Amino acid sequence: MIPAWQIHRNALVWLLLAFAAVILIHSAHLPNWITLAALVAVIWRVQRYRGVWPTPSRWVKLSLLAMCVAGLFLEYGKLTGLEPMVALLVSAYTLKLLEMEHRRDALLVVFLAFFIAAVQALFDQSIGNAIYILGCILLIIAALVGLHQGDVLLSTQSQALFKSHALRPLKKGLVILLQAIPLMILLFIIMPRLGSLWAVPIQSHSAKTGVTDTMSPGDYSRLGRSADLAFRVSFDGEIPRQHQLYWRGLVLSDFDGRQWSRSGLDSYSGRDLNDGGFLQWFGKSIQPWDSLIERLGQPIRYSVVMEPSQQPWLYSLPTPVPQSTGVALTRDFWLLSSAPVTAKTQYEVDSWLDYKVAANDLSNYRQSIELEIPPGYNPRTVELAQRWRRETSNDKALIRKVLGLYNEQFVYTLQPPLLGKHSVDEFLFDTQRGFCGHFSSSFVFFMRAAGVPARVVAGYQGGERHPDNYLLVRQYDAHAWAEVWIAGEGWIRVDPTAAVAPERIEANLEEALGDNEGFLADSPLSLMHFRHINWLNSLRLKLDSLNYSWARWVLGYDSIQEDLLEKWLGAYNPLRIALALLIAGGGLLGLLALWQLRHRFSSKHDELDRVFLRLCQTLEKAGIPRETGEGPRAYAQRVAEQRPDLARQVKGINAVYEHMRYGSEGQERLKVLKNAIRRLK
Amino acid sequence: MVERLGQFFRDRFSHWVYRRLPPSRSVSLNNRSLFIFPSKAGFGFLLLILLCWLVATNYENNVVFAITCLLVSVFMVAILHSFSNLSGLTLSFARATPAFAKEQLVVDVVLHQEQPRYRETLSLSFVGEDAVITTLGDHEEIRIKVPLYAPRRGLYNPGRLTLESVYPLGLLRVWTKVDLDISCLIYPQPVFDSPKTFVANSRGEGLLQVGDGSEDFVGLNEYQTGDSLKKVAWKQYAKEQGMYTKHYADYQDERIWLDWDDYPALDREARLSRLCGGLLQVSGTDKAYGLRLPGIEILPDNNEAHRLKVLRELALFEVPNRGQAGDEKVRGQSV
Repeated sequence: MIPAWQIHRNALVWLLLAFAAVILIHSAHLPNWITLAALVAVIWRVQRYRGVWPTPSRWVKLSLLAMCVAGLFLEYGKLTGLEPMVALLVSAYTLKLLEMEHRRDALLVVFLAFFIAAVQALFDQSIGNAIYILGCILLIIAALVGLHQGDVLLSTQSQALFKSHALRPLKKGLVILLQAIPLMILLFIIMPRLGSLWAVPIQSHSAKTGVTDTMSPGDYSRLGRSADLAFRVSFDGEIPRQHQLYWRGLVLSDFDGRQWSRSGLDSYSGRDLNDGGFLQWFGKSIQPWDSLIERLGQPIRYSVVMEPSQQPWLYSLPTPVPQSTGVALTRDFWLLSSAPVTAKTQYEVDSWLDYKVAANDLSNYRQSIELEIPPGYNPRTVELAQRWRRETSNDKALIRKVLGLYNEQFVYTLQPPLLGKHSVDEFLFDTQRGFCGHFSSSFVFFMRAAGVPARVVAGYQGGERHPDNYLLVRQYDAHAWAEVWIAGEGWIRVDPTAAVAPERIEANLEEALGDNEGFLADSPLSLMHFRHINWLNSLRLKLDSLNYSWARWVLGYDSIQEDLLEKWLGAYNPLRIALALLIAGGGLLGLLALWQLRHRFSSKHDELDRVFLRLCQTLEKAGIPRETGEGPRAYAQRVAEQRPDLARQVKGINAVYEHMRYGSEGQERLKVLKNAIRRLK
Repeated sequence: MVERLGQFFRDRFSHWVYRRLPPSRSVSLNNRSLFIFPSKAGFGFLLLILLCWLVATNYENNVVFAITCLLVSVFMVAILHSFSNLSGLTLSFARATPAFAKEQLVVDVVLHQEQPRYRETLSLSFVGEDAVITTLGDHEEIRIKVPLYAPRRGLYNPGRLTLESVYPLGLLRVWTKVDLDISCLIYPQPVFDSPKTFVANSRGEGLLQVGDGSEDFVGLNEYQTGDSLKKVAWKQYAKEQGMYTKHYADYQDERIWLDWDDYPALDREARLSRLCGGLLQVSGTDKAYGLRLPGIEILPDNNEAHRLKVLRELALFEVPNRGQAGDEKVRGQSV
């Protein structure tokens, strides 16, 4: 007989399955050698159980531990980031699996498994991943049940019984999990979120995606090849027209001859800052420069769910006012998040599409920023700009003239030729083929050379309208355009791309490019390729709708929780929350308890009564109803007299019934009785 | 101090439990008689929940938060499952196989359920004894033998029987401590030490020597305080070989008497032990034997019923309240 504290086969199988599932889901970010070590641990464990390989000695275990720590240090260079910490946890989990001996070791392994499975969601919050984690948890619960279930060898009564029930831990685990889900949903909805308690290490190895804060002319053609999602937007009212959807991300004002970059917080230091700081946080006091914006008409309200970009800037339609905490409006009227967007993030914005910014005057330091061009670059452009400046009567006429030039001679393409040192000169006078980066860059340079304050704006343009009335903005919607300052009107948007390829703005990039342009070249598996196949397209849209609901209602639940609970509970305060939790949670558990303990309320005799009732109904249909007060035996006798053909059956049934009612017959006969009655029909 | 306080509360709790569950030969388990509390692993699990919550909160990650909620919820649901693993069972005392003192005693307990369903890993034990682990499959009833140590002769109540289970998740321990009003008959510990008790005569027949006789010299025994000076073997004493007493046997007919008066020098329990040993030896033969205790005489006979009757008398001789087995000794033991 195996002592009760040992881990028997049925438990071990589930432990190993859970282990494999948990390691597998982490393998994407783990170093390969850890995954390999985990595999070896599983094999070792199985061989140990079979008695082929020995239990690792203390020295083996210690040296394995030292090797793991050293390996992790070599791999990551430190042990404090999120990935190294998780990798360390996974190695501890692996080593513990290898050495576990007693049930309490196995319990530690199980708890580690729960934790590691949960932590996986820090790397990927998608709906598919969440379902996978749920599956892992099911396996872990099965392992836990297996650990506390009787062993085959422990059972003295019926070995066969146990052998045929190797799956029972999984079944029991499934029942527990399914019963736990309603309460989980309740807790998820009601439990208040406290927000970050202290700073935590974040993921360090994930690539930054999307629009960056620098722009070289060729940058945007890279994004044009990717169908990855950038963000989704749902509007409270109608979605604005396509040509109004300029998602402003960053303002790039500094040009070094080659690349545009943003003039961030630093470029303001030492300058005239008497009109306030750079950021205006939501919920904080209004900065003096806010008065530079004239907001006209009614704002539109929308909510954006950003995909992780690992960058702090957010996207909005001009001119925005953030409506979520942790979001700031910058001096240049774009939005900044308090931390890089490392997970799906939801924020709300009010935007006034009709506006005037700094209409009457541009301060000296802004003038100097927005007019600066590096000396010695692009002499031909500077010369042309100054000539045209003299030839045109005003700024607007100059703009029209430049756009006219683009419209007549330029080609919009994802595969532009490479440019040398005087990039604007070469583009304007020689190659004349380019993407939005080339157009906006050359346009802004031209304007500055002509003495008109101008800047590049980076962000997205357009988006795909989902039938469920929201907008999908993808990486290939990335766009760069220009803003020009005109006295009396302030900053106005000028999109030189629209001059050369208006369908880019009115429809989308694919329309503008035509075939063979490398559109979506970096997303070979994307369902976007099959948009012309109807059912695949509707499947794609349904999937996206599901993903969006997940992002909005689950991942972004924090931002709507307060309003929702206030609506449901009448008020959002600790007392109401506690009461709701008690009443709803107690109710749920009460229902479950009734279900779980239902056996208590029906005994063998109740069941027997039901069976007897069924017999009476059957006989009533046959034309012999039972009379009031007639005992079963008398009834059977009467039936036998009236229907001699049934006599034997009915008497047999009665005999079994009496045995069960008055004797000590067990449950087994109930089935016999039921079958006999069924045959009577 | 803390320990004493803990002991105090445990005592109070035990007291409360015992008042809730008075002695009875059969106890049905329901929410009145079952107790539930997180096990050590359960507290570990709560710690895990706290950790997950910290991760969820600090990373503001709603999927981890949902998993935390799931773990809390699993814990709550496990309460119901743990409870229903024992609830609805009826525990009753079937019988206790009589045993000799200082040996293992087996108590038969019956577990009965109205509706057959699986009840996993039920552990039954008496305080301070090894547990028996069993599983109730689709049987309505099973009989379990719970072993325990028989401390002394008489009617013995082993105290409360603990039935516990941590199934299904090991996070919660459900238990009950029932007094099934058990009384076990425990015979004296048999002692076979004395050569005088059983000798073979010249005809090769085993006869019991009854008392110190005067007919045939049997042998020498080491002198014990209280032995008659008349029987001292002075010859040996004079040779400085030690003080011995001479023993003579009276041989009777083939009816043997196990007699209290044969051991004048011994106390009650020692005498009973020797009588018990003698009984075991003689009951293996075909001789008739009888028992004489102060105020009790069982006439010689030789069959199983007779043997049990004699053993019973030996077990219950001068036992207070031999009709019942009310025993309050369990009070104060922790639950």
